Amino acid sequence: MNFWFAVFRQAGRNLRQTWASQFMTFLTVSLSVLIFAFFYLIYTNMIGAGDRLSDDLRLIVYLEDEPGKEMQEQLRRKIVNFDDVEKIQFISKEEAYKRFAGQLGDESDVLTDMPKNFLPASIEVVPLKNLRSYNQIKLFSEYLASLPGTEKVQYGQEWIEKFYYFTRLITIVVLLSGTLLILTATFMVAYTIRLTIMGRQAELELLRLVGATNSYIRTPFLIEGILQGFMGSIIGLSALYGLFQWIRSHFAGPGILNLFQFNFFSPIVIVSIILGSICLCSLGSYTSIRKFLKL
Amino acid sequence: MIEMIKVRRTYGTDITALSDISFSVETGEMFFLIGRSGAGKTTLLKLTCNMETPSNGLIEVAGYDINKLKGNDLAHLRQRIGVAYQDFKLLDDRTVAENIAIAMEVSYKKPRAIKHQVRDLLDQLQLSDKHNTITGELSRGEQQRVALARAVANSPRLILVDEPTGNLDASTTEQVMKLLTRSNKAGATIVIATHDKSIYEQNKHRIMELRDGTIFSLTRGEQP
Repeated sequence: MNFWFAVFRQAGRNLRQTWASQFMTFLTVSLSVLIFAFFYLIYTNMIGAGDRLSDDLRLIVYLEDEPGKEMQEQLRRKIVNFDDVEKIQFISKEEAYKRFAGQLGDESDVLTDMPKNFLPASIEVVPLKNLRSYNQIKLFSEYLASLPGTEKVQYGQEWIEKFYYFTRLITIVVLLSGTLLILTATFMVAYTIRLTIMGRQAELELLRLVGATNSYIRTPFLIEGILQGFMGSIIGLSALYGLFQWIRSHFAGPGILNLFQFNFFSPIVIVSIILGSICLCSLGSYTSIRKFLKL
Repeated sequence: MIEMIKVRRTYGTDITALSDISFSVETGEMFFLIGRSGAGKTTLLKLTCNMETPSNGLIEVAGYDINKLKGNDLAHLRQRIGVAYQDFKLLDDRTVAENIAIAMEVSYKKPRAIKHQVRDLLDQLQLSDKHNTITGELSRGEQQRVALARAVANSPRLILVDEPTGNLDASTTEQVMKLLTRSNKAGATIVIATHDKSIYEQNKHRIMELRDGTIFSLTRGEQP
């Protein structure tokens, strides 16, 4: 019989003897992982959706008058002076009319009585991809609004603002649920191992007297922590995956979920969550061993 | 095997369990510790296996200063010392076989060898039918024999036995002594603390009598 066989058998014995408290801990760890992973999944999908939305982000600067060639150059210089941009496109009143007619499609005949210059001229500014945070866009739009001849700047302020605040809220929830996961997993496992140690003082004393090494006595408790972390995270993530599939099948079709392209975690994230859970539960187990298992 | 020099053990400030104890036990010897209850026999055994530490003095077991050993070194030495405690120290919710196996599991003996050794010991102590009985359900005499079986199971080099026949009838006492004699002949050093005259009077082994925590006499038994 080797060391690992002996300690795994001992760990199995511990689990059998204290199965009720072990089961409660396992449920708590599963639930903590589920709560954290749920919000983290929403967070990652929000970030993904934000990236996709920012691909289409452009600021439209409506002008009072159609600028001449010289004015266009001057405006272009002023915009670039503020910051580098990906693209600047001047749209004349006539071009704006054509675009609008194109967007109306079959309904474009409503424009027949309208003059072709009734829409204002504008500048379409596409900012650089790395300069698309909410605050940067806000600053940039304020600058553009201050340019001479500018009537109004539009970039879907309300939508971006709401999206930005919602993402911040989700970030806070992820951080809170992450902290909850750390606290509950660590404390519950520590508490369960402590109960096991307290309930088995006679056996632990006997093991010491018959010559069990410290690692022979301690390792089974550490294995319990690792198993709690592993099983708890597997069940938590499986429950989340089930929920994810249910949402996908019940809310499929043209809707907000399609816009967001709701995705599950990548294998790397799944492995990271499992490893994180194992580490936290092992830490809980280790602290109890250090504190209550005096050898 | 055991060397004690000027060993003293006190509890608190005014209770002296042992004082000025100096003696040695040779390897392969069977050694009897006798004396009335409270004479210090159990304390002496506890000091020998490092269950307690002396207030003063030196205790060497198998060449090691047992009170300086720590961690794995102490564990490995303890694997070579089998102890049958007066209060048995059995796990009441485990079977007889599991209780005996513990001593061998900690030194990673193969499961088949453990099974074989457990059956053999239970046969010798006439406990074969109790193999799967929960220890808490056994009589005192049976528990005593299980404790003894666990002490000798790992073929230790030193066996310490505290009152091995206290709860046994004459025939079972004979079986217990046969088992200890067999271990002794196989090379184990054996120290038996007892006040049962029948097991130490009729042999040639050394007998040390303790009185009020000191050595009263160190004699050799009368050969039959």
